[in-house]
Amino acid sequence: MDRRVVVTGLGPVSSIGVGVEAFGAALRAGRSGVAPITSFDTTGFPHVVAGEVPDFEPAEHLRVLDPARWGRSSLFAASAARLAVEDAKVDPDLLARSRSGSVVGTTSGESRVVQALSGQWVADGFTAWSPEEVGKLPASRLALAVNRELGLTGEAMTLSTACAATNYAIGYAYDLVAGGDADFVVAAGADSTVRWAHAGFYRLGALAEHASAPFDRDRTGVITAEGGCALFLESYDSAVARGAFVYAEVMGYGLTCDANHPVAPDPEGIARCIRRAHESAGIVPSDVDYICAHGTGTQANDLAEAQAVLEVFGPQPPPMSSIKSMLGHTMGAASGFGAIAAILGLTEGFLPPTINHRTPDPALAGIDPVPNESRPARLDVVQNNGFAFGGNNAITIFGRVG
Amino acid sequence: MNRVLVITGWGVASPVGIGAEDFAAAVRDRRGGVGDVRDLFDGQLPDRPAAALAAFRARDHLGRKGTGSLDRGTALALVAAGHALADAELVLDSDRAQATGVVLGTTAGSVQSVAEYDRDTLVQDKPYLVEPMLFPTTVMNCAAGRTAIRHGLKGVNATVAGGQLALVQVLRYTRNALTRGHAETVLAGAFEELSPHRAWQHRVAGTDGDAVGEGAGVFVVELPATAQDAGRVPRAAVLAVETAVGDDAGSALARCLARALEDAGVAPERVTLVATGERGEAGVDAAERTGIAAVLGDVPLLAVKDLVGGCDAAAGAFQLAALLARYRDGHRGVTVLTSVTAEGTAGVAVLSDVTSEGTAGVAVLTDDVTGWSDVD
Repeated sequence: MDRRVVVTGLGPVSSIGVGVEAFGAALRAGRSGVAPITSFDTTGFPHVVAGEVPDFEPAEHLRVLDPARWGRSSLFAASAARLAVEDAKVDPDLLARSRSGSVVGTTSGESRVVQALSGQWVADGFTAWSPEEVGKLPASRLALAVNRELGLTGEAMTLSTACAATNYAIGYAYDLVAGGDADFVVAAGADSTVRWAHAGFYRLGALAEHASAPFDRDRTGVITAEGGCALFLESYDSAVARGAFVYAEVMGYGLTCDANHPVAPDPEGIARCIRRAHESAGIVPSDVDYICAHGTGTQANDLAEAQAVLEVFGPQPPPMSSIKSMLGHTMGAASGFGAIAAILGLTEGFLPPTINHRTPDPALAGIDPVPNESRPARLDVVQNNGFAFGGNNAITIFGRVG
Repeated sequence: MNRVLVITGWGVASPVGIGAEDFAAAVRDRRGGVGDVRDLFDGQLPDRPAAALAAFRARDHLGRKGTGSLDRGTALALVAAGHALADAELVLDSDRAQATGVVLGTTAGSVQSVAEYDRDTLVQDKPYLVEPMLFPTTVMNCAAGRTAIRHGLKGVNATVAGGQLALVQVLRYTRNALTRGHAETVLAGAFEELSPHRAWQHRVAGTDGDAVGEGAGVFVVELPATAQDAGRVPRAAVLAVETAVGDDAGSALARCLARALEDAGVAPERVTLVATGERGEAGVDAAERTGIAAVLGDVPLLAVKDLVGGCDAAAGAFQLAALLARYRDGHRGVTVLTSVTAEGTAGVAVLSDVTSEGTAGVAVLTDDVTGWSDVD
């Protein structure tokens, strides 16, 4: 018999706010975190904005890790995890002596470390590398950073399933708790902005110049972005026993692969993923009150995602907004931020908006993207979409605990 | 014991051979793949012996179509996956394809692909003129996605960045996917490519006292009932898979090993062979032996690294392949695979042969042995 699994702590470290209060307020206000890039020299790049977290100071959050010994993405993950655990108000000693661990999603792992090593290689050759910097490179360190920061001795798994990765992490963490393998699991996500990804999206024709406008007729693509996010998961009984505030129940999740194209999304694979997620959660489409979209703002994604949603939900699907309009595309962390946004919408009673919306797209008729301004709403069941290169689809479902 | 898994086919692309038969022969004969690699990669490798698939060309194994834009690690994984599917004689109709997943382990994807992509943004007049066709090779899930595309596998598709522990973590993720109903069959494996960038990581970190290696191993993993229904014969059973984060590698491994044996229901004295990881970092190999000895006492060790070099994420895949090779050659009983790192993390898998009565270790996999009557 499965244990019910609930979310009792949230930890966003983002361009629109750090910590659950600031992040939630920014979502409600429809604030943009997109600004001129400061992390690398943009000379020669036609597009020069991103959703960076320029004032990220890991030392403000971390109690254990020495920031000098870890890469930026590990520090995002560990900082977000620390915030989530503080938000959950769980006794640190209880956490450290329990069966506990972390699962962290990422697209590019320690991409800033690779970027630094690459720069040294180009300038001075391989002999310029230092063991300290090389040692920071393995992406497994993202989860290890969370475990080390919180004293967790169990699972420390980094899932690098690109831009759907944190939904994978939430799903696996949910299974660990539901099946009784672990009592407390931090599901997190992290990625850092880098020059090469900015260039790659530009050359794919998928990088917007000033702003990301998902579901707009004239949308032109993503804004690259970064950050860390974390959700603290435990059993419902554990949450009740320690008197914790319960944000939402993890009802289930679905994973599918298009097995079709390395980068282009496929409505068939997405629709199959939605159905699997609903089946896993024990719900039907009409139960869903809000969809936090993958919504990258590319022509291809938003069309494929809308087609899949319309196929499963019929002509009047629930409102479906994209917080990437505010944050930019935080890559591996994106579906974790989506989960936090959907859960905050559920607990605080609002629909996060899709900002930058000007012109409805006739090809997306029936989709309500919650244009520009958040709306009050009672949400009982929310769906969080995450898709990735490689045709990897992952969808999580959260519900009100009643 | 409903969490026991069976392996019904496997394939490798290794420095000592491609496919199970060649690899098993190399393990039997202790034939190593370490050699002079100075002619590879335009002489950019550090001046050390390495274990490479020196003559490997993706198109020789995968055809010309689409192979030009593959990174080396992805190509190696695709070749290993192809051999694993053939070895299991896995036939996929539409329903089976949707229930068949891919779970692959890596350290950080293709660091060479990323670094070269980044280099283009630095040295070109126009920093954005990177090659769009190669962009997917910079992402760590490239190999898993490509494996799904090549073979039409539409189920769970995950990439685990586990480094030295990759294979153990892949088996844990796979076990969860199978036991909790997210997939019926999983191609589980790990890959690592040789490149100047990776060889220099070892050089700088001081882990190249032993040769750097490369390759991929992929295993068809299922629940016993699935294999039996399909008439696929288990080559071995996976009785338990554990990981731990500890203060040091030795104690983490000892804890992990004790827990894994307990989970498997196997007494330490029943372990007949341990395939060690031999990470090569300072003190780690000694800690691995200490951890093993603390739980298992004096037990025979099998160091496949002597043959295939230090393979990071692929190390565990070759350890598992080496144990399967021994089972293929008639070894019987419980075996163990160990992985440890200098960061104080450890992983263990406990394996067993599957008897014609359908038992593995203390586990009874089936009441009806007719499906496996040809297991000897």
